[in-house]
Amino acid sequence: MTRPHRRPAIAAIVVLAASCATAQTTTSAPGTETIKRGEYLAVAGDCVACHTLPGGRPYAGGLVVPTPMGDIVATNITPSKTAGIGNYTEQQFSDAVRKGVAADGGHLYPAMPYTSYAKITDDDIAALYAYFMHGVDSVDVRTTPAHLAFPFNMRWLMAIWNVMFLDTHPFQPVAGQSAEWNRGAYLTEALEHCSVCHSPRNLLFAESTSKRLAGGKVGPWDAPNITSDPNSGIGGWTNAELVAYLKHGDAHGKAQAAGSMAEAIDYSLRHLTDADLRAIVTYVKTVPAVHDAADTRPRFDWGGPSNELAAIRAVAWPANQAQLTGPQLYDAWCATCHQDNAQGSFDREMPPLYHNTALGNPESNNLVLVMLDGIHRRGDTVLPMPGFAQDMTDHQLATLGAWLVVRYGNPAAKVTDAQITNLRQGGSPSHLVPVVQVAIGVGAVIAVAIIALLLRRRMH
Amino acid sequence: MAEPSSADFVVIGSGIIGALTARKLVLAGASVLILEAGPRVTRGELTARFRNSPRRGDWMSPYPPVPWAPHPIYLPKDNGYLVQAGPYPYAAEYIRQVGGTTWHWAAHAWRNVPNDFRIKTLYGVGVDWPIDYDDLEPWYQEAEEIMGVSGAPDTGSPRKKPFPMEPVAEPYAMRRIRERCASAYPVVTNTTARNSRTYDGRPACCGNNSCQPICPIDAQYHGGVAIASAEKAGAKLLTNANVYKLEHDAQGRITAAQYYDSDKRSHRVTGKTFIVAANGIESPRLLLLSASDKYPRGLANSSDMVGRNLMDHPSTSLTFDADEDMWLGRGPQSPSSINTLRDGAFRSEHAPYRLDFTNISRVNGAITALIAGGVYGPEIEKRLRYACARELNVKNVLEVLPDPEHRITLADEKDAMGIPKPQAHYAIDDYTRKGAERSKEDFRRIASLLGGTNLRFSKEGDYANNQHICGTLSFGSDPHKFVCDPWGRTHDHENLFCVGTGVLPTCGTCNSTENGLAIALRTASHILDQAGTRPAGTPAPSPGAGK
Repeated sequence: MTRPHRRPAIAAIVVLAASCATAQTTTSAPGTETIKRGEYLAVAGDCVACHTLPGGRPYAGGLVVPTPMGDIVATNITPSKTAGIGNYTEQQFSDAVRKGVAADGGHLYPAMPYTSYAKITDDDIAALYAYFMHGVDSVDVRTTPAHLAFPFNMRWLMAIWNVMFLDTHPFQPVAGQSAEWNRGAYLTEALEHCSVCHSPRNLLFAESTSKRLAGGKVGPWDAPNITSDPNSGIGGWTNAELVAYLKHGDAHGKAQAAGSMAEAIDYSLRHLTDADLRAIVTYVKTVPAVHDAADTRPRFDWGGPSNELAAIRAVAWPANQAQLTGPQLYDAWCATCHQDNAQGSFDREMPPLYHNTALGNPESNNLVLVMLDGIHRRGDTVLPMPGFAQDMTDHQLATLGAWLVVRYGNPAAKVTDAQITNLRQGGSPSHLVPVVQVAIGVGAVIAVAIIALLLRRRMH
Repeated sequence: MAEPSSADFVVIGSGIIGALTARKLVLAGASVLILEAGPRVTRGELTARFRNSPRRGDWMSPYPPVPWAPHPIYLPKDNGYLVQAGPYPYAAEYIRQVGGTTWHWAAHAWRNVPNDFRIKTLYGVGVDWPIDYDDLEPWYQEAEEIMGVSGAPDTGSPRKKPFPMEPVAEPYAMRRIRERCASAYPVVTNTTARNSRTYDGRPACCGNNSCQPICPIDAQYHGGVAIASAEKAGAKLLTNANVYKLEHDAQGRITAAQYYDSDKRSHRVTGKTFIVAANGIESPRLLLLSASDKYPRGLANSSDMVGRNLMDHPSTSLTFDADEDMWLGRGPQSPSSINTLRDGAFRSEHAPYRLDFTNISRVNGAITALIAGGVYGPEIEKRLRYACARELNVKNVLEVLPDPEHRITLADEKDAMGIPKPQAHYAIDDYTRKGAERSKEDFRRIASLLGGTNLRFSKEGDYANNQHICGTLSFGSDPHKFVCDPWGRTHDHENLFCVGTGVLPTCGTCNSTENGLAIALRTASHILDQAGTRPAGTPAPSPGAGK
């Protein structure tokens, strides 16, 4: 359906690109205002999250980004002429960011969210280019290129994938919507690339267009439905709660950010202006609802205060600690902070466990991952929650998790020993998913390649 | 189950000092095997045991000993493990479990004051240390950075680098005490290994006020954290490995350690260097237990000083009611103290001391006393509320001088494993008694400054013990007077070292852990220096000896 429509579009852009490249050579050095705007846009694009090693120099790359296709290494995007993108023209920069094509013509993998960045406006691309050329310190250290297994090591396959799935139209304001809404749509869909995690993907890893923002996976993490549906999505959140969540990672009495969402907040969202956060929320609240019939109430609306500690008080622990009950484990490891009724601390520093999306989510991976690894926030002096991977066995964690969701969350959620064992080792996506998807994916990609070649031959 | 049976270094004891010594050695690339007599415990089970215990004030109640590695227990009744020879009972408490006794401590991590190292020269009492304050300063700092220590800048112990963090917020009661005593005493925040912010993956103190017996969130550094870090670094830990004998060869080198497992099966591990880190009672006990034909008085004991010069910090105290509501119990248990009486010319006459204000919630003590006093009905709530709001307590922490007659020996009685129990010979001497008497004037003055009424001094002649076991493995240059040399190596055995608070030749007026730990880190660094494997960037220990 999309191919006949898109090919001319690509051709048009190539023409446009050629003219841009010519224009670019005559422009003078950008002003500080442009560079500063580019810096803000780079933060909004969360470039640093992948292109910087923890504790490493900004944008020098080197971070290994696990994807279902294998580990990808984020590149050096400092203006180094030997190791970075210092030799890129603005057009080459634009092509890399918006089309996923590097200066050498090699195709990037969509771990680089160019499918979203494609919607960045020309003006903003120019500002980003100005920032990366003039506002970032050069680091002359090359990164080691990724080595993906067959068939994903054939970068040219991405050209076909792009024909199928890359919409190369920059963002256009929607007439009839407010300036705030349009700003929010732009930030959400282009720079913040929310859909990369929050949209489900098809067998070829492309984002679903029909279920946009209806929930996806980030490795083992569940990136929930953030459409406007009141039960399945964020329709039941107030705008203020959503802004607080995006700014602080905490909407009290609803949700706390962890994992890669906490990372997105720390590197990107919390640095946005309040006006931009409000704009994102204004837009997201209007995203067409995608409802899952299984969601009989919002994730934040499960459970309530209750206290089972009296029943275990003064009861000695079993000699075999595999027999510890949920309340016993809760008493030992959780109650100090989350308190006897799971109501959290009086000063709201530590959240209640009921009315908490981590426990109201029928998919329990996020809860388990937080129990194992805790919640870590970057650039913050406060450890929101320590992990308990070293303190409890898989069985104890499963007992505790299963009790928690029944007592304070969504009883449909299940927590099992096998799940803990799996997530303790980093989760399944890098193991099981490829086994399945490679088999399907290879077949599908090859089939598409053949069709594309046939079509091309016919057109010639 | 193939367990390691040999290593470059065999460390006996997995407490805070043994564990961090092991960690330092293993980080330098050595193989390290730690033998711990007791079992592994988790913070969760200790927290649960504390919450389930009917004896809230008995800080040993969450730490019942295992039969194969007993430790002293006094409540509900004395288990008789530490035999008392008198004349004054030495009711030491310690924990034989992975992580050791700092599972429950107040996390006081004090440095000595510089004059503590030279009390013989300056005041004609006790002995001088073989090193001085400046020798130990870098190792204090290293210990403080590992543990996450904070404190006041002006407690008499100069520092070259700042504390790694700011102090924990001052509880309201401590603020009022500080303000009202300011005209006579500077009340300062204690130097403690308690997080005021996230540090090394552990959260900040949130004021559970159960530092003893257990910090339920690991805001307080302790031996459990230390041993986890040693294992993470690569040290191997054998639990339930109760070492009862060290073997030696004809040259006096230690060749092996023999231990009983929980079923009393004997095992043997060999190593190149042995480090005894089993605390101020169990370490000398092991050296004494290891007597042989060649060393009939026990290992490292040619001086006959193993187990002698037992010291601790006795305390007397005053409880009174302030004239305003204070509400002890918010924040950590032991946040503030007065440090101006730790040194002075008076040390030639009587013991110096710190004055320590408790911040332990009064609920348990007050309700127990009211029930015992037959109070009931509305009166009990009224009086409980009053006691909890108004009651304050200040205690001294008195220096004890080394005396060879105060000592740990082997008892005739044996423990459940058939090993002779330790026996304590202890007394409170006049030097310490005079210090206690002198501190009563301070108690009265403090009470007066706080509008105190209903003054209750601790019972005359009764001294509470603070579990800071020192002196029994003292280090010093003279092999006829000291067990260890100035580096912590035993004078008698080239490859046998002692680390722990037993190495301290005098006890000063501060909790002994940080002193013991700083000396141990210096010992470990010296060992690595000798082997040519000191990690890059770490300072070389200064010899100290002979100063």
